[in-house]
Amino acid sequence: MNRIRISYIIVTTCVACSLLVAGLMGWHSRHAALCMFAYCVGAVGVIWLSWFWLKLARSITSIATALEAELPELDAGFPQGGGSRRVSSIQYRESVIKRIGSYSNLVEQLCKQVKDLQIQVKLSQRQKANTEAIIYSLPDAVIVVDESDRLLMANQAAGKLFHFDFKSSQYKPIDELIAGDKSKFVDFLRQTKHSQVEATRHEIEFTQDESSKIFDCIISCVYDERHQVCGAVAVLHDITRDKLIQQAKTDFVSHVSHELKTPLASIMACSEMLADGEADDEETKKQFYSVIQNQAKRLNRLIEDILNISRIESGLIKIEKQPVSLTIIIEEQLQMIKSYAQEKGIEIIAQTPIIYDQVYADKDMISQVIINLLSNAVKYTPCGGSVKIDTAVNQISGTAQVTVTDTGVGIPKNEIGHIFDKFYRVSANNNQAKGTGLGLNLVKQIIEKVHHGRVFVISEPGLGSTFGFELPLAIGQVVEAV
Amino acid sequence: MAEKKVLVADDEIHIVHVVAIKLRNNGYEVISADNGIQAFELACQDLPDVIVTDFQMPGMTGLQLVEKLRQCEQTKDIPVILLTARNFVISQQQQKDLQISQCLSKPFSPKELLANIEDILYRKVLNQ
Repeated sequence: MNRIRISYIIVTTCVACSLLVAGLMGWHSRHAALCMFAYCVGAVGVIWLSWFWLKLARSITSIATALEAELPELDAGFPQGGGSRRVSSIQYRESVIKRIGSYSNLVEQLCKQVKDLQIQVKLSQRQKANTEAIIYSLPDAVIVVDESDRLLMANQAAGKLFHFDFKSSQYKPIDELIAGDKSKFVDFLRQTKHSQVEATRHEIEFTQDESSKIFDCIISCVYDERHQVCGAVAVLHDITRDKLIQQAKTDFVSHVSHELKTPLASIMACSEMLADGEADDEETKKQFYSVIQNQAKRLNRLIEDILNISRIESGLIKIEKQPVSLTIIIEEQLQMIKSYAQEKGIEIIAQTPIIYDQVYADKDMISQVIINLLSNAVKYTPCGGSVKIDTAVNQISGTAQVTVTDTGVGIPKNEIGHIFDKFYRVSANNNQAKGTGLGLNLVKQIIEKVHHGRVFVISEPGLGSTFGFELPLAIGQVVEAV
Repeated sequence: MAEKKVLVADDEIHIVHVVAIKLRNNGYEVISADNGIQAFELACQDLPDVIVTDFQMPGMTGLQLVEKLRQCEQTKDIPVILLTARNFVISQQQQKDLQISQCLSKPFSPKELLANIEDILYRKVLNQ
């Protein structure tokens, strides 16, 4: 319709212009050829316009004829006679025109509705594509089945978990795709559908890549308009890591409570004995007081270690890094350990040349590290042994290294891998000395987590151990800090 | 009347020391061990009337010690009191199967331990 309208306008304009040009130029002017051309264009335009109007008249006549065939009552309602026939004809034409108008409106409405529906269809398709993209990108496995347990949809995570390719597996029965130890998932799916409940939740354990994984599985039923189950949607969320963290927390609490209760047991027992007058002589009383005091200190150290480790792990600890001299820190800590070593007759050898290259570290934390390593070395070295502390600088790697070597009991090979774990104590060495089992873990946290260094241990049972750490030199660190 | 003999096994020397004083003050003979292996050897050697053992010990845990005691003809009937600083380490069924007379949580009262020992020995005499 638009094209016809546009062509009508163009042609009318051309005809008018050509007639005007011809009129202006005149037949006898020297531009006779141009004038002739303008008259020809005008003539063609007139012929085209005549054709257009004729076609329009025929269209209207055919519509009127069709309507006349459908509405005989209009003609029957009017009396016969020359004048009356003329009146009825006019009324008839008016009614036809009205009907054409209403049909035209109807057609317009229908066209509008069709357009709206087309837009809605496009929107629905886009929403479907978005939903599918979301489902496919989810890290959780998603599976959709129909009322006959055939696979309708599955994302990449589901394909990876159950080892099938969705494109080639669509519409296949789910029990053909999922078998073995994972078939318990299919059982849960069926149970949920048959039970007609809205949703069920299960914890399922699968073996995947030679390791065990635990999933939180939620299965929801899909209902049709008659509220009958016509399918199910299953979402499997990997909770293996959560379970491990939970277990680690439980183990930690168990360890901590044990470690706290042990010195507390000594304190309470000694207190009760003193309160009940069960300590007969002064010597026994002094022993009990000493036990209470020492165990209270042990409890305090334990709580401090636990708090420090927790703060480091959670990132809440206040760190004050500055260029510090390892040599000076070592000298300070050696003074603290000297008397304990002398009591046991252990020789302390310090080979700590002045390190001009300092480390960028928290002084208190590094002091804690060194005292922990020194006290462990003295603790686990029998009387008459020796403990040596060395420092060295590696210019190539840009690190300063500290090692503490003892002639103590050593660590069995099968336990050396756990020596820095929380609460880990070498079982064979429990008789040698007491400890919280947190000292070396704290060393590791301070050096590796806070200062981005490295801890290491070398040991030979019966011969002794060397514990050490490396820290980056201060120069590079200070530039980075600036 | 011969003194009743109690074997106290715990790697915490202060606990052993306090318990030993308490029991000696109340007329018991006390033998002590600081690990499970030594405790088993002393149990077989001295045949105590009651064994008080910690749960967590180097070499052999208290539970392993009890299992071994129950397998040995000489020591299978010796009553055992288990001291533990951990909760829920042993179920009621396990306690029954191993014939553990009592489980005491640390920190414990020496008076309470003494009362338990006396109660066990009294019931032992009644059963005989």
